[in-house]
Amino acid sequence: MSSSASIHDFTEISISYSNSTTHYIYARAHVSSQKATNSWPLGRTLFLVNVSPDATERDIILLLKPFGTVEKVIFDSDNPVEDVEDSAAEDQEEYEEQGGGSPDDEEDEIQVRKRRKLTTKKVEPPKVFQLPSTPLRKLRKTGQTVHVVFLDTSSLDRFFSASHKKPLPWPNSSEEPSGLSHYLALYDSLRPPLDAVRQHANSAMDLYEFELAKSKRQSKYKKGEAIVDEDGFTLVTRGGAYGQTVGGGVTVATKKFQETGETSERKKKRPHKEKTSFYAFQKAEKQRTELMQLKKNWELDKAKIEKLKASRKFKPY
Amino acid sequence: MTAELKRKRAEGSSSRKLQKLSPPVEDEDTSAQETDGDAQEEQDDGEDVEMDNGEEEELEGEWEGVAHLRSSGEKSSKPTGEEIRVIKDASDLFRSNTFKLQIEALLPNVQPKSKRKPPLERFLLSFHTFLSCLPDVPQEHPLEASRRLLKKGVSVPYPTPPPTEDTQWKVAFSGPTDITLVGSWANETSVKAQGESSYGVDLAVEMPSSLFQEKDYLNGRFFHKKAFYLATIAAAISNPKSGFNVDVSYISTNDDPRLTKLVLKPRADGSPNDFTKLNAQIHIIPTLSSTDSPIPLHRLSPAHANIRITPESYSSLNTNLDNAEDPSKLPSPLYNTALLTSLIPKSYLLSVHAIQQSVPAFSDALALLRVWANQRGYGESGEKGVSVRGFDGKGPWWAALLMYLVQGEEPTSAGKKLGRQGNRKPLGKGLSSYQLFRAVLDFLAKHDFENKPVFVKTEGGHRYSPNEYLSTHDIVFVDSSSAVNLLAGVPLGSMKLLNADARKTLETINSSSTSSGDPFPEVFLRDHRNLHARFDIVIYVDLSTAKPRKPDSHHTLDSGSASNAVLASISSVLTQALGNRVRTIAILHPTPRTRPLSQAHPTTSHIVHIGLFYNPVYAWRQVDHGPNSASDPDPVAVEKFRDLWGDKAELRRFKDGSIVESVVWDVKTVDEKTLIPKRIVAFVLNRHFGIGEEGVRGWQEGFDGILRLPEGVSRYYVGENGLGVAAVGFKAALRAFDGVVKAIKALSSDEGKDALPLSVMNISPTSESLRFTSVFSPVPLPHSIASVLPPNAKYTSPMEFVIEFERSSRWPDNLRAVQKVKMAFLEKIARGLMERVKGLRAAVIVGDVTGVDEGGMEDVVRLEVIIEEGWAFIGRIWHDREAVLLDRIINDSTSRLPHVTRKDKFQSQRQGKDYHTAIQAREAYTRLYTHAPMHHRVIAKLFHQYPAFAGTVRIAKRWFASHWLLGAAGDSVSEEAVELLCAMLFVKQEWEAEADKDKNEDQDKQEERLMVPGSKERGFASLIQFLKDWKWDEQGDGIFIPLYGSSIASVSKQPKAVATLLGTGVWKIRTAMDEEGVVWTMFGPDAVVARRVKALAQATWQCLKGMEMNEVSERGGVLSMFDHPTDNYDVIIKLDRSLLPRYHQNVSLDQKQLSWRQKSDKGELAAALDEKIRPGFDPARLLFMDLKRVYQDTFRIFHDTFGGDQFGIVWDPSLKQPRPFRVLGGFSFCAHETNPTESQGKKSKDKKLVFLNEQGVLGEIERLGRGVVSGITLNVEIDNMCIN
Repeated sequence: MSSSASIHDFTEISISYSNSTTHYIYARAHVSSQKATNSWPLGRTLFLVNVSPDATERDIILLLKPFGTVEKVIFDSDNPVEDVEDSAAEDQEEYEEQGGGSPDDEEDEIQVRKRRKLTTKKVEPPKVFQLPSTPLRKLRKTGQTVHVVFLDTSSLDRFFSASHKKPLPWPNSSEEPSGLSHYLALYDSLRPPLDAVRQHANSAMDLYEFELAKSKRQSKYKKGEAIVDEDGFTLVTRGGAYGQTVGGGVTVATKKFQETGETSERKKKRPHKEKTSFYAFQKAEKQRTELMQLKKNWELDKAKIEKLKASRKFKPY
Repeated sequence: MTAELKRKRAEGSSSRKLQKLSPPVEDEDTSAQETDGDAQEEQDDGEDVEMDNGEEEELEGEWEGVAHLRSSGEKSSKPTGEEIRVIKDASDLFRSNTFKLQIEALLPNVQPKSKRKPPLERFLLSFHTFLSCLPDVPQEHPLEASRRLLKKGVSVPYPTPPPTEDTQWKVAFSGPTDITLVGSWANETSVKAQGESSYGVDLAVEMPSSLFQEKDYLNGRFFHKKAFYLATIAAAISNPKSGFNVDVSYISTNDDPRLTKLVLKPRADGSPNDFTKLNAQIHIIPTLSSTDSPIPLHRLSPAHANIRITPESYSSLNTNLDNAEDPSKLPSPLYNTALLTSLIPKSYLLSVHAIQQSVPAFSDALALLRVWANQRGYGESGEKGVSVRGFDGKGPWWAALLMYLVQGEEPTSAGKKLGRQGNRKPLGKGLSSYQLFRAVLDFLAKHDFENKPVFVKTEGGHRYSPNEYLSTHDIVFVDSSSAVNLLAGVPLGSMKLLNADARKTLETINSSSTSSGDPFPEVFLRDHRNLHARFDIVIYVDLSTAKPRKPDSHHTLDSGSASNAVLASISSVLTQALGNRVRTIAILHPTPRTRPLSQAHPTTSHIVHIGLFYNPVYAWRQVDHGPNSASDPDPVAVEKFRDLWGDKAELRRFKDGSIVESVVWDVKTVDEKTLIPKRIVAFVLNRHFGIGEEGVRGWQEGFDGILRLPEGVSRYYVGENGLGVAAVGFKAALRAFDGVVKAIKALSSDEGKDALPLSVMNISPTSESLRFTSVFSPVPLPHSIASVLPPNAKYTSPMEFVIEFERSSRWPDNLRAVQKVKMAFLEKIARGLMERVKGLRAAVIVGDVTGVDEGGMEDVVRLEVIIEEGWAFIGRIWHDREAVLLDRIINDSTSRLPHVTRKDKFQSQRQGKDYHTAIQAREAYTRLYTHAPMHHRVIAKLFHQYPAFAGTVRIAKRWFASHWLLGAAGDSVSEEAVELLCAMLFVKQEWEAEADKDKNEDQDKQEERLMVPGSKERGFASLIQFLKDWKWDEQGDGIFIPLYGSSIASVSKQPKAVATLLGTGVWKIRTAMDEEGVVWTMFGPDAVVARRVKALAQATWQCLKGMEMNEVSERGGVLSMFDHPTDNYDVIIKLDRSLLPRYHQNVSLDQKQLSWRQKSDKGELAAALDEKIRPGFDPARLLFMDLKRVYQDTFRIFHDTFGGDQFGIVWDPSLKQPRPFRVLGGFSFCAHETNPTESQGKKSKDKKLVFLNEQGVLGEIERLGRGVVSGITLNVEIDNMCIN
């Protein structure tokens, strides 16, 4: 690849934080896998490993500016993936798997997303009035991975052909504050004006009710109608709307059984009671076992004390 | 029935003996199996034992035979009759099998080893010959004799009053008439003493009666002759020609020169007579023959006056001698007792021997009793440490106590007069050692030594009239074999302490074994002598300058030494002065040490410790009432009161019109109020004994200091500069909270258009500031004060509460929507409050510290209220439907068929993000809404019930925090967990019922509370003691605290899976409401932190012990326990002190940093900080939480919540090793070494290994903490570099 240091097939990029401290990011071109459901364009996506925890989208755009224009930056930790601990770097495709519909934490992402979701609806849903937000740094766990999609493929080539011997300076964008000012801004932004809160809450509730109504309309489940799946089986559930059984007349398991898998105690048969002290030998045997038990306990206690003795626990002073 | 019982017991005893004699039972057993004949024998044996069911025995025998045929080599066979008897004994006669075995394991450790005894016996034999052959010394003048002996290096320990030149009588020496081994050694009841002390071998040397005259009982003449006798023997032994290789020294029991004896300590030389390995020393005690001594015994009765001289009449000593009866002379009880003591050793030996013969378990019971007493400081103190006063050389008393219980009481006229019916019933002779021991404890716990004398049953009655004892001694316990009051000179306080200790032990033994574990270590193995955990207050007194105001020469002479007299009068004066403020006044000091022969008189240690148990009802009373001089003219009482208090006493007129002599203690703050008992002690000691301020010290002020805001901040609140606000503290906070509650409730009952759609049912506080347990007493932050405070002292902690609305079906059935509704509700409340309440500011907080949460499911919406007076509150809404919704997600009952039960364990790993969020939210819900309000209520109740509780919690929290281990979040110890741990020291079963009763109603219950710490210092010491020994890793189900009464037995079970899934904490603190014991310790402390707590507790304990021995200074001593060592952190991150809003709470505060605006260059940020008041804004904590979260797999980070100006970081040790490259390593790495000091040889790149990029991480921390972090220090010896 290039003259710069590498490990596996990752290129090492050194980032200088200050005169004395250097951070290292490892980069590689994104490789798609069959498993990945939502993959980024091949050829112009860069996969970065060990990105600083406080990196923002802007930071990364600024960092990669010399190589080309960045289309978007995806922080992988915001999209939880399964099987996090697959060992080798080669299996990295797994991580790129997109957790389909899980809600997105990324603050600027969500707005885009929500809006996108909303626009697909046929009936115009009520708009959610967003709470005012100040640009804030989001701190993610250290050692995170990032996918960067360049605008064109040449940027990627440019990136890999460049020598990374000389450390790049970390572009600390001043847009999002850090340190004390970050915390001040955070504190203040958590307490938005009451009007904004009211508008946000009301509009969010409107949206909720709208969606509730819509899902009601769409729901297959109607009172008195049985649910039949593709194989033609009728689903029998307990209860149903207004306490009536769907499909009628079928006795179903109690809630307790559904939750615990245990039947009620009433049905348990009492174990047959055997007469234990009828014959003399029974009596004798019982007594014998009792004595044996007594002795056994005694021996156990003795062993316990011996153990304590060994650890010199009986020296009072 | 009783006869049968007796037989059984007798058999039990014989079995014990058999066991000792015969080889181990198992051997016998296996040999018995070998032949049928043996088996038959065994069976017969069995029949003897259990006669009641002999038939079955036979049957067993048969069955055994069958068993033998089947498997003859089998080891576990039927127990023999012998074994059954032993086993049955253990469970019937002892507390349990283990208890018996533990006792058996303990006893050999405290008794001398018999195989080391022969050298001592050889030594004693030759010593006997030596003593018998000592040459006589002709009569000479006592002073002349002492001068002669002084030349040999031996001074004669003449007690005061010493003989003078005018003395007419002579001293002489002739060989002893009898030499007997007496005491515990002879009876084989020796028990090892505390510390490095040796076993004492008492050798009674009987002085010939010819040396004494009838009048020798007068004026210490007997003691002088005895002293000379002892000195002569000492001189003879120390003479190198004697041939004994021993160190000879004097020792005086109770520092009383009259009770001096000789101590022979062997020197190791390997000769056959060398008994050093036995760890014993020989005490030579001169005694007087009880049969033919010329001293008339009737002269020695307690009320007899035998000291007929005063210091003024020293000169006229001789003339006074023949001046027989002088009615004005005072009785000399202690003197008489000391003289009588010389008569008892032999009779004591015989009576103990007799009882040993009749009561087989006597020796073992005595040994247990002595071990128990030694662990509690009733005995010798050893090199370090102190003992309870009065219990030195009380060996005979412990034996007599047991004897008393076995033999019963002598009927006395005095006893009848005191209104007691009949005698104490004697115990059976066949009791086991444990039963006897318990009986003694029971007696000690119940007997009122102050008012009830004890006369052990004798044959033929006691020599002196009981009334004589009663009139002259405080405590009376008269032995059977002699006429000696064995408890003469023991202060009443010591007996009360013994009484309390016995009660405490009984409680431990009686408590069911399930809740408190094995009581054995607590009763016998643990050292209970620590003063700080034992007494509510410990006062250290230096007696070196003590000068009694009114010296009582007679008392001094009677007590034997000046220091004994002073201590006795201190005890009585303090009792008068403190009155019912305290339950017990105990004086503790080291027991006497040996002194060289050249030193005639013992050097008493000048340091004594006075330990007090408070009576919480009266202890902090501000006014002491004396006699009413107007209505009840009793000049004697008034005079007495005046004499006690001096100038302090004044005549006052009270509201009810009475004019009463009284003493008033002025206090300014609550802290000062708790100091009143100590002030009284200091005052009394100063007035009556001339001991100055520097001679009386306590540690209380040091503890108070760490809970107080620095003076630089608090002065703005107390009204200086005209800025003061009236209301600070817990009461004011509660008042402010009530105001807010009223305002919100008014809002909900309002009818207007802004009215809340649901009415408020409940508002419950959950803040430590509202339950009296926050470290600092809460202060508001109004604008007037905020504007003058420096930025690093401008902090106010918002107080949390929970709002509960009436139930409604209109809440949405969706978690995210619920949050929005909450938001709308809170907005409405905020708006309403701002409209109605003047000066109130309210806001809705829409996210937690990590930022605005967009998932929308977690319950983060809160209401922030700041009222005009500057108090800040944060409220949440409790909506119970949330729990159902969360459970639905967790159990996933919507997405799958509901009737299919899934029981796979990996369920949690396969769930999506919602599932994890829901689990967390469910845990938070349970904690915040179910447990927090309940916990708050019960803790607040504890505060009212136990005055010392809140203080204990506050110190404990400060301790945890100052060691960087306290914090609500993460792996540290939560505040509620600290409160629970402290509650454990206070509450017992049924405490609530007790609390509801009237306080003065039940005297017994009052007494019970002796065990409960009466001061915060004792509470703290007890907590440290607990933490230092707590084996959280060994107890499976943790500790149980009966905090909630049985009234709330039916607790709704919380889903267990949720609780245990998240937890990393290792402590388990169970209550009735929290069966698992993990609500408050779920996240922390984890094993690492818990081990840290233990280590720190051990260090703090050492520090407390050091304070006891006065090794550290007063204030520094307390502070040093809160001083956190930073050496063991890899990295220390320093924070900018001038910007930390909580810096003023720092435990080791630099006052200079608090000065106003010392840094102006911070301009912009400081201005931003100043512009408005942000309750609860603590950037250090926020940064700490962020770092903890971001680097949770890289390092552990620690911080002091209360204004700590440093973070401590410890790298994850597993990251020290290079590891293979991984995409998701979870830490910042680099492919080559960053640390240049490491060996260059490792070419890591080839191996594809990566290393932790420490420098990079620190660089990031610096960036994340810009403005807060002022410097980073690496704790490496070689390269100590600083960034910045």
